[in-house]
Amino acid sequence: MNKLGYYSFDRNKILNVLLWIVSLVFLIRLFQMQIINHKMYDEKSAENSIKAIEQIPFRGVFYDRNLNLLVDNVPAYTLRITPAGYDTNLNKILDAVLGFEEGSVSNILRKNRIYSKYVPIRIKRGVDFKVISWYEENSNFLPGVDYIVEMQRAYPFGVMGSHLFGYSKEISAKQYKLEKDYYRPGDYVGHNGIEKSYETELRGKKGFKYVLVDSKRKEIGRYKDGQMDKESIKGKDLVLSIDGFAQKTAEEELKGKRGAVVAIEPSTGEILTLVSSPDYDLNQFSYVTTKEFLNKIYNDPANPLFNRATMSLKPPGSTFKILCAIVALDMGLIDKNTTIHCGGGFTFGRFFKCHGSHGAVDVLRAIEKSCNTFFYQLIYKIGLNNLKKYAMEFGFSKKTGIDIGEEAAGLITDESYYERIYGKNWPRSILASLGIGQGEISVTPLQLAFFTALVANNGKSFTPHVVKGYLDNNTNTIIKYNFDEVKTSVKKEVFDIVKKGMFLVVNGNGTATHIRSKDYNIAGKTGTAQNPHGKDHALFIGFAPYENPKIAIAVVIENVGFGGTHAAPIAKKVIDSYLTKGKFVYSGKDVFSYNLGERIEN
Amino acid sequence: MKELRIDYNLKDKLDLYVFIPVVSLILLGLISIYSATYANTLAQSNFEKQLYFVLAAILIFLIVHFLPTNTFKFISIPSYIFSILLLILVLIIGKKVSGSKSWIGFGIFSFQPSEFAKIATILMLSNFLSRNNTQINSFRDILFALAIGFTPVFLILLEPDMGSSLVYMFLILVLLFKKGISLFWLIVVISPAMTAISAIFGLTTFIVTLIFLLGVLFYLNKDLFLNSSVLALNLAAGFFADYVFNLLSPHQQARILSFLDPFSDPLGTGYNSIQSMVAVGSGGLFGKGFMNGNQTQLQYIPEQWTDFIFCSISEEFGFIGSTLVIILFLVLLIRILKNSSQTKDEFLSLTQVGIFSVLFIHFFINVGMVIGLVPIIGVPLPFVSYGGSSLITNVIMISIVTNIYRTRKNYA
Repeated sequence: MNKLGYYSFDRNKILNVLLWIVSLVFLIRLFQMQIINHKMYDEKSAENSIKAIEQIPFRGVFYDRNLNLLVDNVPAYTLRITPAGYDTNLNKILDAVLGFEEGSVSNILRKNRIYSKYVPIRIKRGVDFKVISWYEENSNFLPGVDYIVEMQRAYPFGVMGSHLFGYSKEISAKQYKLEKDYYRPGDYVGHNGIEKSYETELRGKKGFKYVLVDSKRKEIGRYKDGQMDKESIKGKDLVLSIDGFAQKTAEEELKGKRGAVVAIEPSTGEILTLVSSPDYDLNQFSYVTTKEFLNKIYNDPANPLFNRATMSLKPPGSTFKILCAIVALDMGLIDKNTTIHCGGGFTFGRFFKCHGSHGAVDVLRAIEKSCNTFFYQLIYKIGLNNLKKYAMEFGFSKKTGIDIGEEAAGLITDESYYERIYGKNWPRSILASLGIGQGEISVTPLQLAFFTALVANNGKSFTPHVVKGYLDNNTNTIIKYNFDEVKTSVKKEVFDIVKKGMFLVVNGNGTATHIRSKDYNIAGKTGTAQNPHGKDHALFIGFAPYENPKIAIAVVIENVGFGGTHAAPIAKKVIDSYLTKGKFVYSGKDVFSYNLGERIEN
Repeated sequence: MKELRIDYNLKDKLDLYVFIPVVSLILLGLISIYSATYANTLAQSNFEKQLYFVLAAILIFLIVHFLPTNTFKFISIPSYIFSILLLILVLIIGKKVSGSKSWIGFGIFSFQPSEFAKIATILMLSNFLSRNNTQINSFRDILFALAIGFTPVFLILLEPDMGSSLVYMFLILVLLFKKGISLFWLIVVISPAMTAISAIFGLTTFIVTLIFLLGVLFYLNKDLFLNSSVLALNLAAGFFADYVFNLLSPHQQARILSFLDPFSDPLGTGYNSIQSMVAVGSGGLFGKGFMNGNQTQLQYIPEQWTDFIFCSISEEFGFIGSTLVIILFLVLLIRILKNSSQTKDEFLSLTQVGIFSVLFIHFFINVGMVIGLVPIIGVPLPFVSYGGSSLITNVIMISIVTNIYRTRKNYA
């Protein structure tokens, strides 16, 4: 105790030591913070004040095969709310201004509560300009509210393409979880159709603008004068294989009907037309989707959202006789001259009738006249397993692998299928109707079109696809995507016979002579799928020109009756608009030069 | 001849070890205030205002520096009484700024009485302690000294201004210590504060502290009655502290608690602490450069031109800059202590130690809180932080030191 001393001099020394200790501790601490841990603090500091603002690139547009612009981007206003600075008393005002039902804004805000309150929430897309000018005048009284200009889809060519193009919508929480590294909440992603399957090509690459923000996250300048900014990269502009004219024609022809049209270029597998009807207005999805629209579309018994072209399963009816003829010829069960007597029907356990009494028919006449008796008998020669084997070679009973959306596989039965149901002694009488494409057999319009394309091109084509490639804006060339080749084992002579038969259907005494054209020769086959629930489905498959097929087509119209009457004329109109109306500029080369400037002038 | 020559030497008339660090700190302060307020439209005028404060401070320095040295003892009692009156007045007519009623305004001009009262309290306490008949280890005189010191503390706590109260308490303690208080009495004086703090941390810490304290007291002094009284005093202090803590405004409570773990609530109460540490740490060796500190320029730290000015210096001038500040304070404070040791007049010696203690505790709390060693307690960094009352008070204290140095031969 005495050591502390009673002398002021000693006590000053103690204060001196205290001062030194404090100063040294401070210096050590500063050394630790500013030299040793400098990096850690520096990163924190940068995180603090540098905000990366995403630059969403323009989404790629769609051209048709003749480089007509089918799907474009147009600017639209989107009103947003950042909850952190927002006063919920404004909900009512915004509801009124935006023409919402009362409580809509608060609903949207509640739904988005899971995200940070500093992330702006899109309240309405495609906001009217009047609303924006109202906002501009009153923005001082609307804290936390702002608007941005976003790009939205427009369809300048007048093609609906509902099931083909598809639409984008705000990313779902589920998908966001899977792809957190690219997307942010509120981003738009392709939801179906081409928009979905080519999402990664179309979306481009987000850029980032780095800005300095203050402690209230308010932007106050560029970071390093923008040297660190990353430019966004525009999405790829897709060149579709679709022919805008043919597509438009098909859409118009299908108006008011339920059904589908699929047309394919036989030599390439390129889809020229893909229409499902009824369809719906993509703009309604692209802009803000109203409740009424959703209610209407979900409650429509015709189910407009359903893509009939790739999803609807119907028996192929008589169009299937083409496959049976191919199988029998290729297996050598019959030849060109083999005749079968048609006495108006066929008895196997019970009587299967034909729609006429055709006498002695060979394969050409059987196709031309669509003689059931001929094919009833043929199927017993072929056998179910062989039929299935060939059917799969031609793309039935499996997915075609088309590059958009969902697709149904369809069903072609084989013996084991019936054995599973009926046991070893399954009734062989089932076979008869399968020979004419009725009964337990189902195909999609796409499969039918692809089958027709394979026949037209003598058993060779490529996996059907709607996108050819993309337009390289630097070189003005089309870079093509690659698709797998599809090849059947069937001999060319077989195709010659079958195609001749199909030629006769239209140009002989067949079932579709009314669609004969003087400009080019169409070959085809009508079909009528029996429908136990109502009127029969009308089908038609065909290709043209007969000598050098450029288009293969399948038309399926539901519940209208005979195929020759209802489906064939539509096929003809689509073929017609493809072969004559559309200016056929595609040179056929994989890569070709194209002057973008010309397009703008046009 | 030799004597005369020294008389004409500037070094002999003006204590450059005090003067140069102070001028450097004021200049550094001006630079940093300019930078810290540059981006803030509301505070941009503060640099200009600080320039006027500096001009006023120069004037006051010239006056106080050349006053007869015995003036200080002479004015100690009236200035103390005047200060107490002002501290009462501020509670009645004061302006509330960020939760504390600590400003008195006269038209456009306003000041903090608690700043000027520091000088009066130093003078008054030094005056009392340097009386010939003061018995520093007597209960009566200690109580008297504490009464002088704690009257302003009590009034300032009512404002409430926690930071300034702490400054006064440290001042009282250092002066008692300097005067030669025994270890026993020192502990008696400190103990209520210790128990008060421990009470905030909960009952267990409170009891442990009490037992420990009792042990130390009995080791130093066997007087049972005295020790029991001290224990009673401590018990009272503990309960009083707990009571006062609950009376504290939530932001002050939060500040004290958030010091325990600033990262527990990074956007709330720990925010200032984290942001100031990030500012300091990100400065690195050479700093980000004048006007280039993003933490400073982007207003991450509220009112950084006042209590957090050290952040700006550390961020923009790095380890070099912050070390310079520490060294300037070290030189200044060592010099004041040394001067005090060499002053034979006890009043003047005590006054200088008092000045040392006020500057030192500001320095300790301010820099300590910026670098995360001390809880966030609002006290300015002397000479550097923006603020007229603080600058002028500190300059008056410095001019008292240089005044004593100027006339040191009269007291040698």
